[in-house]
Amino acid sequence: MIRPARPAATTGGVINDVVELRLPADSAYLAVLRTATAGLAARLDFTLDEIEDLRIAVDEACALLLADSEPGEPMVCAFTLGDDSIEVVISARTGSGRPPGTGSFAWTVLSALAGEVRATAGADHLVTITLLKQRGGT
Amino acid sequence: MIDVTISSDDVTPQRAATRLESKTLFVELGAQPVGSPEHQAAREALVHLHLPLVEFLARRFRDRGEPLDDLVQVGTIGLIKAVDRFDVDRGVEFSTYATPTIVGEIKRHFRDKGWAVRVPRRLQELRHELATTTELLSHSLGRAPTIAEIARALDLSEEQVLEGLESANAYSTVSLDAGSDGEDGGGGSALASIGADDEALEGVEYRESLRPLLALLPARDRQILMLRFFRNMTQSQIAVEVGISQMHVSRLLTKTLEQLREQLTEEY
Repeated sequence: MIRPARPAATTGGVINDVVELRLPADSAYLAVLRTATAGLAARLDFTLDEIEDLRIAVDEACALLLADSEPGEPMVCAFTLGDDSIEVVISARTGSGRPPGTGSFAWTVLSALAGEVRATAGADHLVTITLLKQRGGT
Repeated sequence: MIDVTISSDDVTPQRAATRLESKTLFVELGAQPVGSPEHQAAREALVHLHLPLVEFLARRFRDRGEPLDDLVQVGTIGLIKAVDRFDVDRGVEFSTYATPTIVGEIKRHFRDKGWAVRVPRRLQELRHELATTTELLSHSLGRAPTIAEIARALDLSEEQVLEGLESANAYSTVSLDAGSDGEDGGGGSALASIGADDEALEGVEYRESLRPLLALLPARDRQILMLRFFRNMTQSQIAVEVGISQMHVSRLLTKTLEQLREQLTEEY
């Protein structure tokens, strides 16, 4: 496992390393994102259950965005590593510019897998889905 | 390596008929000048006759992110190559001869797509060890293990464990899962009955369109889905309940969600 050579930026003892990936909004790149998700969650000592849940959640969130995304647009995925949590912020420009409905089945799935889910719509049809997964919080 | 050998011991009457027809067509193919309408017709008939073999082989590679239709299409290219190169006098069955060519084309398709399909033996063994160790550790810890814990137990680096998990997720071939993969749930939990499902679905939008799709799922896949998303059980708990490994639960969840996604795209 690669550990940071120098201490991570900390605020009040909380690690806040950020890993950001920019990928084409194309399902072919989801595998890369899945691998990154598992690798980062493992660094935080998440259990296998939690890692797999997060991996599926990231998949699901991306699929939601991809279903409505503009071809050729990038999808940006930022992982913020906390002490005992990982926050994944995924955004892409979509056709409708509307965030997914909180009553949908997909939302139920996301909440069950990640714990905390938020979706926001920004300027320029940019839709952002935020997943916050706590360690030991299943 | 994926095992794609087809047993030739049990020759059904239908298969015997196919073999005979194949032989007759190959004789015809060899007798006609290349490019003649008769040659062309025999070639087409041979391709058509052996399409089920392509479909059979292509299905071995499903669940890897490529549509089955595409795999059948590239597999058919392999079949055509095999038909053109087959030498009747060599005394082997055409299906035996064609299988590596067809599989080769399918694998090349994955390679071209950037996915390495070959699962090295080392990874297969690792995957098996991971499943066993995860189960043991889950039992002794009373929760799912972390990557570090698995690595320690197996005397591997955390990267190696991650690599193994990755391969377990990416290469779930039908043959490797066979045995534990019954059509029905087996576990037969009362929780998974349709009545309980209905109750759980209250409050979910589009449940009217979701319900028939859920009903179409194999009983066990539906049970796992309901337990995870509406009963909030962990993957490890579900693994115990259903009697399969946690890694398998994860794979089935991923697969089922993908299916539902495809079918629900409209109102998802």
